[in-house]
Amino acid sequence: MSDLATASYLAQADNGSRLNKTLRPPFDAVRRFGARSIIMTTIAAVLLFVFLSPILLVVAVSFGEKIEGASWVWAFDPSNYARVFVGIGWPDEITLLYAYKLGYTLAYAVLGSLIAIAFAFPFTYFLSQCSRPVQAAWLVFILASLSMSEVFIVMGWDIMLSNRSGLPALFKATGVTEWLKETGWLAVLKDWGLANPRNVKFKTSQLATVLTMAYLVWPYAVILLYAPLSRIDRSMIEAARTMGAGSFTVMRTVIVPVVRIPVMGTLLLLFVYLLGAYVTVTYFAEPAHQTLPVSIYEAIRGATLNAPFGAAQAVVLLTTAGVFIFASLWLSRLAENRGR
Amino acid sequence: MKAALKHGFMLICAAYISLPIVIVCLSALNGGRSMLFPPKDPTFARFWEFFVSEPVWLRSMENSIIVALASATLAVLITWPIAYDQWKRNTAFSRALTGLAGLPFALPPIVFGVGLSFLWTFVGGLGNIFTGILSHTALLAALPLVTISIGLQSIDRYHLDAAQTMGADEPTILRTIILPQTLSYTLSGFFFVVVLSFHEFIVIFFVSASAYSTVTLQIFNSLRNGFTPTMAVGAITFLLVSIAVFSAVARYGDLPRLLGADPARKDN
Repeated sequence: MSDLATASYLAQADNGSRLNKTLRPPFDAVRRFGARSIIMTTIAAVLLFVFLSPILLVVAVSFGEKIEGASWVWAFDPSNYARVFVGIGWPDEITLLYAYKLGYTLAYAVLGSLIAIAFAFPFTYFLSQCSRPVQAAWLVFILASLSMSEVFIVMGWDIMLSNRSGLPALFKATGVTEWLKETGWLAVLKDWGLANPRNVKFKTSQLATVLTMAYLVWPYAVILLYAPLSRIDRSMIEAARTMGAGSFTVMRTVIVPVVRIPVMGTLLLLFVYLLGAYVTVTYFAEPAHQTLPVSIYEAIRGATLNAPFGAAQAVVLLTTAGVFIFASLWLSRLAENRGR
Repeated sequence: MKAALKHGFMLICAAYISLPIVIVCLSALNGGRSMLFPPKDPTFARFWEFFVSEPVWLRSMENSIIVALASATLAVLITWPIAYDQWKRNTAFSRALTGLAGLPFALPPIVFGVGLSFLWTFVGGLGNIFTGILSHTALLAALPLVTISIGLQSIDRYHLDAAQTMGADEPTILRTIILPQTLSYTLSGFFFVVVLSFHEFIVIFFVSASAYSTVTLQIFNSLRNGFTPTMAVGAITFLLVSIAVFSAVARYGDLPRLLGADPARKDN
């Protein structure tokens, strides 16, 4: 009896599962679509909240109004922007303090990214010619140095450039300082802001700022250039070689035309990254030559505490970066279309 | 001759890149309180200070690890469905999500940091470690998004077709083919976030509001009183972690491929 019951139960269960199977596709689709839309909606909400809203908030706050001796209130006040470009006393007087800061921000970023590319390009080209395991080893090295925080890098350069134990001390010990004094170069360096009457000095200087920035983005430059350079069609280079082209001609007529656009794109990305450099500038640039990120920090968390003004400066920086990001996207699209 | 020149140039670049890092690491050996190079009265006492006797470093190390691991996990969890949806369906919605997920990484970090500090001030949670984690998730999500997308694109189409012909449904294919084949790419993305989160400074600086500090923040805060060799121990620790992580990525995944090298050219 019990066997029979079991058998009929099993038959029913089997029936049920068959029933289930016939019903499965539509039910399953609904269930799956449900799960998918729940997951994707949640993710979209998270993205809007944590990824996008901060950027919108910066724009919104930048129109706020600072209350003297207190915090600030929501408003629609474009004067923060006027202050960034022509100073707080406008239109009676024009002060270009923040415009200069923007100028320094741009200048450091341009120089830093150009120097980085100038050294990273040949390096990456040679790297792409190595064997795959050698490439992997180099990439580990590059990535490890890439992950050194700006704080550590500044620490290293600070020791290297400091008067007590860095290059100036080395110059003195090896007699280079004496030689510079005798030949009159020290006076020239002093005019450039790179020496005091006794010895060379690199802190604080614009040279140190720009070089540290170039150092900061050099590994990024290698990583970004690696993909386009390692995908260059070898047969084209070999064809050029067989037809008697020298290394320089190959570089000029084959390689540079192929990677011109990715190189421009890389340059723009490095530039945008350097626009936001903070630690380097606070350490190596003298106050008169400091940049917008430093004064953004001052306004938001530091001494001046004027959130709307800080936000306005951030928006100016963001707009500058945005213009360049769009330019780089446009360039890469151009490159894709060319490739087809 | 030419090859020698090439290798010479590469080695000079490597030396230039290593120099400040090596100097920081060696400075950790200083016996006194000031950073001198070459180090004076070399000693390992600073390591003892960092890891044992000065609790402020250990506490910030703990925060660094919590923020890095949690934000890497969250970043992978958020970007996996985005990358999958984009790969599988490629709708306007999935493309918009992809763009949005990569956006914070493409901006100057200070602008995003300022925005996050406003956000957490308004909704509460400024200076809470959880908002720090969310902030790093948002900032660095672009990395796993990219590695996972590369992983999905590298799946062999034949495997998918075979599975489909044999009647496997989408969840089964996802579980038996897609997840295992993209695991190394997912892990790479995870570790990229871990390492960059360890070192990230400006965003965590804004959102921590001095309520807690990671090692990087602690070092920056201590910089005001000048450098001390104990900080350099932090640098060494981080460097070793980075090298270990990226070597593992290179060992178990295809690092050149991850960084965009031509997959067809394996052995040149």
